[in-house]
Amino acid sequence: MVPLENYLVLSAIIFSLGVYGVLARRNAVLVLMSVELMLNAVSLNFIAFAAYLDPNKVTGAIFAVFVITVAAAEVGLALAIVIRLFRNRATSNVDEAATMKW
Amino acid sequence: MATEVLWWIFAAAIVGTSAGVVFSRSVIHSAIFLILSLGGVGAMYVFLTVEFLALVQFLIYGGAVTVLILLALMLTRVDASGKPERVNGTQAPWALIVGGVLGALLVIVALKTTWPGNLSDKPAQIDLNLISQRLFVDFGAPFVIASVLLLVALVGAIILARQEDGD
Repeated sequence: MVPLENYLVLSAIIFSLGVYGVLARRNAVLVLMSVELMLNAVSLNFIAFAAYLDPNKVTGAIFAVFVITVAAAEVGLALAIVIRLFRNRATSNVDEAATMKW
Repeated sequence: MATEVLWWIFAAAIVGTSAGVVFSRSVIHSAIFLILSLGGVGAMYVFLTVEFLALVQFLIYGGAVTVLILLALMLTRVDASGKPERVNGTQAPWALIVGGVLGALLVIVALKTTWPGNLSDKPAQIDLNLISQRLFVDFGAPFVIASVLLLVALVGAIILARQEDGD
């Protein structure tokens, strides 16, 4: 079967791709998608640890449930902010919305 | 053996589609790649014998989150001309360095650390009864708090996105 390290390396790769996306992208929705990638890598890591190291208590799987819940809440809120920003500034690029105060 | 071949196919697909999300020039292509990548991670949950979470992944991410993201993309389109706009900031090369260094570090740490327990063993079949017992009994209070969090976030999203009079 597939050893634990394979899952860890896979999730490390997904996470660093997400970090690159968050830092490099201009569009706020693309930044949000990269955040989703990072959250998924974290969930994968949690569940791999739960399956291999903690199969009698599966705390990692429970944490993954909470990660998914928080991700859903975060997506709804962030998209509301993006739509609000687009209505006020006619842009959804994060580098054009850099002023802290009007 | 067949499982391992399938695993490598899915792993390669996940890495490829995740790279597609962050490197694609078109915003819509990124969203499509994101759906595929999230679905692949759901397949990984099946490999880890957590079928319940795989279903949750397909329903919530594949269904709800990507629809929301596509909707937001549709609502925030600027150029009707269809010419490709600049999707990366000027800091993109630095971001590549940061992401590459972080990824290399994480891979090295994951491979060098000796984890406790039997690593190359087949993951134990995770019982759904066990998950529900842990979720609703041992983690009952965080579960309720998470539902309150969802409610607050939804109310906040509605208030933020609402069309106000005189706006």
